Amino acid sequence: MGKRVAIVDTVQTEHGDKLEDNIREIMFGVVRQLLDRVGIEKSEIGTMVSASSDYWEGISCSNAYYYDAAGANLKSGSNAEEDSGLAFIYGFMRILSGDYKTALVISITKCSETPSAATLTHMSADPFFHRPVGLNETVVAGLQAREYMNRYGITEEDLAMVVVKNLGNAQKNPYAHRGGQLSEEEVLASSMMVYPLREMDIPSTSDGACAVLLAEEKIARDLTDTPIFVEGVGWGTDHSFLGDRNLLNGSLPKAAERAYQMAGVKDPSNEIDMAEICDITSFHEILWMEQLGFCPPGKGADLVKDGVTAMHGKLPVNPSGGLFGANPYVARGLIRIAEAAMQLKGEAGDRQVLDVSRAVAQSVHGLGGQLHSVIILGT
Amino acid sequence: MGHAVAIIGTGQTHCGKRTDVSYPELIYEAVSRAFEDSGLSPDDIEAVVSGSMPPAMEGVNNPHLYWADAMGAGGKPLIRIATCGSTGISLAHAGFYHVSSGLFDLVLVVGAEKMYEGNPQGVMATVADPFFQRPFLAGAPGIFALQSNEWAHRYGLEEKRVRMAAAELSVRNHTDALDNPYAHIKVKIAVEDVLKSRVIAYPVRILDVCPASDGACAVIMASERMVRKMGAKPAWIRGVGYCGEEAFFGEGDKVVWQAAINAAKTAYKQAGITDPRKEIDVAEVYNPFTFQEMLFYECFGFCDFGQACELVEKGVVMRGGDLPCDPSGGVLCTNPIGATGLQRAAEIALQVTNKAGDHQIPGASTGLTHAMGGLDQFNGIMIISNSL
Repeated sequence: MGKRVAIVDTVQTEHGDKLEDNIREIMFGVVRQLLDRVGIEKSEIGTMVSASSDYWEGISCSNAYYYDAAGANLKSGSNAEEDSGLAFIYGFMRILSGDYKTALVISITKCSETPSAATLTHMSADPFFHRPVGLNETVVAGLQAREYMNRYGITEEDLAMVVVKNLGNAQKNPYAHRGGQLSEEEVLASSMMVYPLREMDIPSTSDGACAVLLAEEKIARDLTDTPIFVEGVGWGTDHSFLGDRNLLNGSLPKAAERAYQMAGVKDPSNEIDMAEICDITSFHEILWMEQLGFCPPGKGADLVKDGVTAMHGKLPVNPSGGLFGANPYVARGLIRIAEAAMQLKGEAGDRQVLDVSRAVAQSVHGLGGQLHSVIILGT
Repeated sequence: MGHAVAIIGTGQTHCGKRTDVSYPELIYEAVSRAFEDSGLSPDDIEAVVSGSMPPAMEGVNNPHLYWADAMGAGGKPLIRIATCGSTGISLAHAGFYHVSSGLFDLVLVVGAEKMYEGNPQGVMATVADPFFQRPFLAGAPGIFALQSNEWAHRYGLEEKRVRMAAAELSVRNHTDALDNPYAHIKVKIAVEDVLKSRVIAYPVRILDVCPASDGACAVIMASERMVRKMGAKPAWIRGVGYCGEEAFFGEGDKVVWQAAINAAKTAYKQAGITDPRKEIDVAEVYNPFTFQEMLFYECFGFCDFGQACELVEKGVVMRGGDLPCDPSGGVLCTNPIGATGLQRAAEIALQVTNKAGDHQIPGASTGLTHAMGGLDQFNGIMIISNSL
C-alpha cells in the first residue's frame, strides 16, 4: 500500500439514554464541532460516508434524512448501512483510490426512538427458520456463551468481572451514558436473561453519534500534530444460518488476520498496546479477545482475572467502558475507533492509558457476531 | 484516479412477480449467472458488496446477512450499501472503490429487491421526514409529478407537446423491453394508449410510471492486473460521480438539478468527456418516470435546458438515433429498486462489450449509466467504456 491515510480528529456526542435533539440536529452538531476543532470549512471535505440503519432509525433510506445536515450537501457520499466500522473502512478506501483527499465518516443511532434491540434483532433472523423459534441477538449470545461454558468451563463470576471493569472504566469517560463502581455480587444479583447471561451482562442501548475526519498523510499532517494512521483493516462475514456456523470460531479471526497482515503485526499480544472492542455482552469481550489473537481459545477469562485488560494492565481493553458505557447501536463501532484514536493522540483525559502507540478497534453486527470489522491504528 | 477497474461479468434475474423463489434464491440466480458469464467461481471472489432499498420493504433487518451464503460471501469481506433509489449505482461505486483502492482484485457486487413481499409505496412514504413532509404520504409519483410540472412550467413547454414526447418515450421503452430477456413489463403499446391511460398524479399516467418488480443483479469487478491475467473482455469504469443534496423537497431546484449536474460533471471530468452528446454512444438513464428522463437529458448535457422534448421528437434518443437511451427498456419496464441502478451499469457493460444481444446498439464503445434516489435528493453516474 503506497498511500498512507490518517485520522485527523474525532467528535462524539455525550451519549445518553434519550438525547433531546433530533437526528438532523445531532448530526449537524457533531460535524460542526469536528470542522471547528480541525479548523477547516465544509468546502474542504472531499467526500462523506455515513452509517445508519432504517430499522434503527425508523426512517426509510435513513441517510437521506441527515445527508445535508452532516455537511454533505452537494457533495459525493455513500452509506454503509448497519455498521459504522464498515463506513470507516469505506471512507479509507475512497481516499486510497486517490479520488478524494479527505473523507468525513459519521454515524448516529437514537435507540430511544425505536423498538427494543430484542425486536429489531429478531427481525434480523431469517423469516422461515430462525424467526419462528424466537432468535434475536441476546438469545444467540446466550447460546454462544453456553457452548463456551461447556467447552472451557468459564463461570458466571468470570463474566461479572468484565461488567465491573467496563462500568468502572466508563466512570472516567465524559461521553459515556452510564458507569459505576459495582461489585461482582451486584452483577450476579441481577435477573437472568438468557442463561448464563444476566441483565447486567448485556449493555442496554443508547442514543449517540460520532464523526471522524480521515485524510491522506500530507493533508493530515497539515491539519494536526498528532495524525493517527490507519495501519490495517480487515472485515468478514460468517454464514447465514447458525447451524452452518462454528459459534466459537467465526469470522473475527479471519478479519483480524487480514488487518494484522496489512499492518505487519505478527504477534498481537506484544505489538498492540490497547483495544476498543464491541463487548455486546460481558462474555463477548472475552470471546472477541481470544479471536483477536490475544490469547489461546478458552483462556480469555484469564486476561480479565489477571488484570491484563484493566485500565492500567498490559493490554487495556475498553478503557472507555465499551458498550457498557454507551451502546448507540450502529454508531458504536465508529466510537470504538474514535476512542482508540483519542488514546493514541494522548487526549483521552482521565481514561488515558499510558505508553500506547498502536491500538486495535473492532466493530460487529449480526446474530452471534456474523460480520466483524477490525481496524489497526498507530501513531 | 487509483487503480483501473473493469466490469468483467454480469448476471441478471428474470424480473417480475417472482413468487417461485425466496429472496436468497433470487439473489443466487443473479450471482450464478455472473459467475457463468465471467467464467469465475465463488472461490475466486475476494470481497462482496451488497445492497437493497429499505429492508422494511421485505421485512428483514440486515438483509445482507440473510443472503450472505446466496452470494458465496461466507468467510469473506462483506459490506451493505444503501442509498435509497440510487442504491444500485452506489453499489457499483462501492465495488469500484474496493478495487480502485488497491485492496482487492476481484469483487462481487449484488443488488436486489423483492417488492411483491411488502408494500413498496408504504415504505417509500417513510423516506420523507417524520414531521413535515411525511404527513402528505406522497410516495414516489407525487414527488415526481411535482418535478415534472415544475420543469414544463419553467420553460413554458406546451402541455400537449410534453405529453406527446413522454408518450413516445413510454412507447420506446415498452418496445425495447420486448428485446430484453430480463425485463418485467412486456406489452406492445401505442402512443394513444399512453395518452389515454389513467392519471396517477398529474401529469403522470400509469404508462408513464415504472412497475414494482422482484429482481436481482450481480456484477463482477476486476483490477487491471486481473483483467490481463484472465484475458477477460473488460468494460472499463472510466468515470464515477455522485452528488446528494437537501433532505427537504422544496429546498433545492429540481429542474436545473444541481445533484444531477454535479454527478455528471464529476464523472465526465474523470472520463475526459467534454461533449457528452458526441462522446457517449449509449446511455442507461434512470427513468422510473417518462418526464423525469427528459429532465435528466438536460442535466447531463445531452441538450440545452428546456430542449429535451426535441431530442425525443427528432429521434436522437431512440434505438436508431445518435444517442440511444435505455435500450434495455429502462426502469420504466423493470424496477426492482435495490438492483435497478446496478442493472443500468450491467446493461452498459453489456453494450460496450457487444454482448447485449437483441438490444445491442451497434458499435457502442462508451456509455453512461445513472441512478437517482431519496426524495429527489441523490444522483450517481458511471461512465463505462471498452477502452481505458
